[in-house]
Amino acid sequence: MSVITRPWNRLSLAGKIILPLFLLLVLLTVLLIAGWQIGVIPGLIEIVADLVRSNIDIFRFIGTATVTLLITIPVAFVIIYMEMKVIAFLASRIGPNRIGPWGTLSSVFHGFKVLAKEDFTPTGADAAVFTMAPIITYLSSVLTLLVIPFAPGLVGLDMNIGLLYFFAVSGLTVVGLLTAGWSSFNKYSLIGGLRAAAQIVSYELPLLLAPVGIIMLAGTLSLNQIVIKQAGWFWDWYVFQQPLAFIVFFIAATAEGNRTPFDLTEADSEIVAGFATEYSGMRFGFFFFAEYVNVFILSALTVVLFFGGWNSPINAQEVLNFLHIGSLTPNLDISTLGIWLLWILVFGVPIILLLIALPLWLLKSSWSFVKSLIVAFVLFNVLAVAAFMVWAFLSFEVVVGLIWFLAKVFTFVFIFVWMRGTLPRVRIDQLMGFAWKWLVEIALLNVFITAGAILLLQELNR
Amino acid sequence: MTTGLWYVIGFAFAGATFVLITIIASWLLSHRSRGDRHKGMPYESGIDTYGYTWGRTGLSFYIYALLFVAFDIEVVFIYLWAIVFRDVLLGGFLAMLLFVVILLIGLGYAWRKGVLTWK
Repeated sequence: MSVITRPWNRLSLAGKIILPLFLLLVLLTVLLIAGWQIGVIPGLIEIVADLVRSNIDIFRFIGTATVTLLITIPVAFVIIYMEMKVIAFLASRIGPNRIGPWGTLSSVFHGFKVLAKEDFTPTGADAAVFTMAPIITYLSSVLTLLVIPFAPGLVGLDMNIGLLYFFAVSGLTVVGLLTAGWSSFNKYSLIGGLRAAAQIVSYELPLLLAPVGIIMLAGTLSLNQIVIKQAGWFWDWYVFQQPLAFIVFFIAATAEGNRTPFDLTEADSEIVAGFATEYSGMRFGFFFFAEYVNVFILSALTVVLFFGGWNSPINAQEVLNFLHIGSLTPNLDISTLGIWLLWILVFGVPIILLLIALPLWLLKSSWSFVKSLIVAFVLFNVLAVAAFMVWAFLSFEVVVGLIWFLAKVFTFVFIFVWMRGTLPRVRIDQLMGFAWKWLVEIALLNVFITAGAILLLQELNR
Repeated sequence: MTTGLWYVIGFAFAGATFVLITIIASWLLSHRSRGDRHKGMPYESGIDTYGYTWGRTGLSFYIYALLFVAFDIEVVFIYLWAIVFRDVLLGGFLAMLLFVVILLIGLGYAWRKGVLTWK
């Protein structure tokens, strides 16, 4: 027995992890080849393909739900990191810099920390409602992701009433925050919950009225169609036809997402933490998870309605026509390469590695050859991924759309964070008065200006 | 259309399950203790809670909710009107203008009555 255990004990921790994985990999490879030769695996693939084909709707739903739910996790982590780092830079601090390069992993570890914290229910609280509140809040923000078009063809569900659905579902946030405030059995929570209800209900109106001009211009409520209508150059985006609506919409969106300067619901200098005072552990975590998802979604909706969604600001086709170039897509047909592809893969990779590693080794006299090889390998991977991205960007509409969409959305996320780092909180009566005395009227004015303009153009064209 | 409905229902179910599983996982992972009497008390800046929290609460902005209902119904109409605006044109424009002006008169009345100012 000691023949096996002695070498095992000599291994380091990394070796103890890698060795079983390696053995498992070898076993899997052998099984795969054997299975392929006998004909078991092609048969299995055929059966699974049949199953998917006959239940395409169910499998599409499962795919959509999984992707949409899981995409919120990295999005929230990125926004939390941005929040820490950007505000740190605004305040002349360094910000998180311990875990991961430039502290990029610290938000992930924050998440794990919250997961491991004690989740306590106060004695006086209504336990069932207390647990339901974060679920409702999270659902109301994540359900709206279903109708947001990320890229051409990459939309969870292209509803013809997309915009109405979006506002209907995101309006449920009120229920979540109000139940959270009420069920905590804490006066600060109650005040926070009631403030949340008053604020979100008041700012719902300008938020709903601002896009009416866009609906008139586009003639549809489907977010996908609204994006398609904005194709072309960047001056075709609706922000240039509806600047007033954009300002109203953005202010109302800030208030809807409970972001500074309108974060009265959790004003920590006034009412401890508002509706979240009594929450701890993961139930607390979900409120903030929902808030960051909300920031992403509101930015996404702003981009979809006013900034052309996944359309690029440059009309690539017109530029190409102007330069007399047919298409940028590289004409790469792998099948013609045949056996050469194998040779390139087997010998090309080590040759490129050596080509990167040798100059490094020669220039940096202090580095050992192994170290320069490792650095070359990392560099090679980065370059390969970059080359792949460029190829995908040139070849697939979906990738182009997704990259433009995310770039625009994270610009708006940055603006939200920037505002939080810059502006002070407003007073509650100013907040409520501003919605009813200014925003609603401006939004209605914008509706009738747009309607008048459409009428006038119709008359002139007749 | 029914596919869309099932999507939403199924997605809500999936989301709720996700949240519940995470909360239960965190409950199993973390340490828990009942603590003494003071641990379960509401945190109100270190002072023992006074009075009944779920009693009647003074609200300065409850009339906003009434105004909201009126305007929210208007939003439902204005959305439908906006989609078909290119078909109704001048007649529709005047009708909606009349409707909104009546609503705004109501808002103006509430404003004059001092509903929108903090007391």
